[in-house]
Amino acid sequence: MTLIATPTTEAAPHAARTVRRRRGGVNPRLRVVPLAVIALVGLAGPLVVPHDPETVVGPPSAAPGAAHWFGTDSAGMDVFSRTVAATGTDLLIGLSVMVVATALGIAFGLVVGMNEARDSWWATPTRGLARLVDLVQAVPFLIAVIVILSLYGTGLVAMIVVLSLLLSPVQFRLTRSEVLRVRGEAYLDAARQAGYSEVRLVVRHVLPNAVRPALENTTVMFGAAIIAVAGLGFLGVGLAPPTPEWGTMISTGAAEIMMGRWWSAVFPAAALAAAVAAVVFLSTALVGDDRVR
Amino acid sequence: MRLARHRWWLARLAMLPVHLAVFAVAVFFLVRLMPGDPVLTIAGPNAEIDQATYDRIAADYGFDGSVGEQLVGYLGGLVGGDLGDSLVSQTSVAAELSTRLPATLELVALGMVVACLTALVASYIVVTRPRTMVARVLRVWARAAGAVPEFVIGVALITVTFVWLRIAPAPVGLTDRRTRVGDPVTGAPLLDSVLTGRFDVTASILAHLWVPLVVMALAFGDLLTKHLVSQLETSIDSPVTRFRAAVGVPRRRILLSVYRRALPAPVTVLGVMFGALLGGVVLLETLFNFQGLGQYALAASNAVDLTALQGFLLLTAAVSLVVFLVTDIAVMLLDPRRRPGAGGTR
Repeated sequence: MTLIATPTTEAAPHAARTVRRRRGGVNPRLRVVPLAVIALVGLAGPLVVPHDPETVVGPPSAAPGAAHWFGTDSAGMDVFSRTVAATGTDLLIGLSVMVVATALGIAFGLVVGMNEARDSWWATPTRGLARLVDLVQAVPFLIAVIVILSLYGTGLVAMIVVLSLLLSPVQFRLTRSEVLRVRGEAYLDAARQAGYSEVRLVVRHVLPNAVRPALENTTVMFGAAIIAVAGLGFLGVGLAPPTPEWGTMISTGAAEIMMGRWWSAVFPAAALAAAVAAVVFLSTALVGDDRVR
Repeated sequence: MRLARHRWWLARLAMLPVHLAVFAVAVFFLVRLMPGDPVLTIAGPNAEIDQATYDRIAADYGFDGSVGEQLVGYLGGLVGGDLGDSLVSQTSVAAELSTRLPATLELVALGMVVACLTALVASYIVVTRPRTMVARVLRVWARAAGAVPEFVIGVALITVTFVWLRIAPAPVGLTDRRTRVGDPVTGAPLLDSVLTGRFDVTASILAHLWVPLVVMALAFGDLLTKHLVSQLETSIDSPVTRFRAAVGVPRRRILLSVYRRALPAPVTVLGVMFGALLGGVVLLETLFNFQGLGQYALAASNAVDLTALQGFLLLTAAVSLVVFLVTDIAVMLLDPRRRPGAGGTR
């Protein structure tokens, strides 16, 4: 489910016809609205929630009602407050991972793409790096995350670092293949003749022409990060328990479902699905926009 | 030369041990770079140990000597199939993993089969009956691929099938508690029950398995459908298809050819999807309380059992590399232009 953005983009030229055939649809600019609403909930939500999300505020397993809109979980914590408070945590991780993974991927993609075919001592190590990245992608993503986080600790920062490192290969490959395309263009030779330094050349001409696929893919990074955090929480190896987090809530709520008390799992599950759907909705706009052009 | 004709897959096969070795070394350093002293981690957080005990633990778990000596000892063990002993249970990690692997692989394989069948049926409907309501719904479902993680679908389906409709058993294992399962033959429960002729067990397993299989069809079939449909729409409009239609080739044969030309890209996706399925199965095993690699890995994770985690990571990486190899070769069989040296792109 998560990282399979790469083949999608590889298949992109063939898909052009499908997209064009689609009639109507929402204005691409408006597709940012659902995610913006969720971001607003993440930012402002914790300030306005009716109860403290990390303490027991009512009887355990109370059904949804006036006192507790989404009911309470098996410990007696307010499901509504926790669902809202978790939005901030998950968005923070998603956003950080998106930025760090994309920056890393683009930087390494530029360096490797520009150097791997060059006749210098520098070419071999960069090619080696490219092969190594291919190998990192061979490990199932979620399994790599579980193992590495249990070795290195599951704090917020460790989680962001590990998810970024494991997701950056996707961005790296997208950028690298674009750099390989751009590096043969005539305008680079022109700039070289004009006396541009290699660094200036890369920053002014290669970078702007090679980042587009990676930037379009940022939403996929975001979604993958949120799903991974929730998956870890669901497995019980994510952020420490009192921290409100959708995956952890779904996992503790799943046991409640067996007794017919559906609310403590269903609301966080719906929130998670809504957040990822908002991201997917936006990403179809980004990619679709490009193809319709 | 005979050999030269087979070079395309032999070369690919020869890379496998190299990749495995690189992985093994990478995992070795991953564990060695862990913050803190591994020997103290093994001894436990509050243990006060003297130098002799420290040295003994270090020697037992291969943490003595220089990094080079440790690496050689570790790689030597790997070649002999020795993944070390678990820090918690003191049992052989290789033995523990190999008893659990078949059950998990069986679930992954079944998941792949249902996802492929779903994609084939869905893409057939979308491509041959594009104007129907069903096709439109399927299209939206495929386009939203990956939007809802498998454990959310799992929780939702359990709620509907077990809590509301009462048409599925409680998600507390693979068989009813009363059903006595025979001794394992291959370790894969469904296969074993068929091999030993215990069809009552087979029925019980299938009754417990259909909900997770529907979850996997919904969670992983969408991505395959998306890629298959996009490829099918390209190949159905191609001059090759037009030519076949023009010279009067029967519709069935045309469709077969369209599917054959559309397959390479989705098969590549299938290889990538295997990793996602393996991760997804770990989640589903937890949700449905199935015995398998997932439970072992989670126990190891909670106890920071270094050797067990290391072995688990190596095993999943090795399985994934083999699957990548198989999909690469399958793609090259389907489309000879993709073989190295065939003069295509890359």
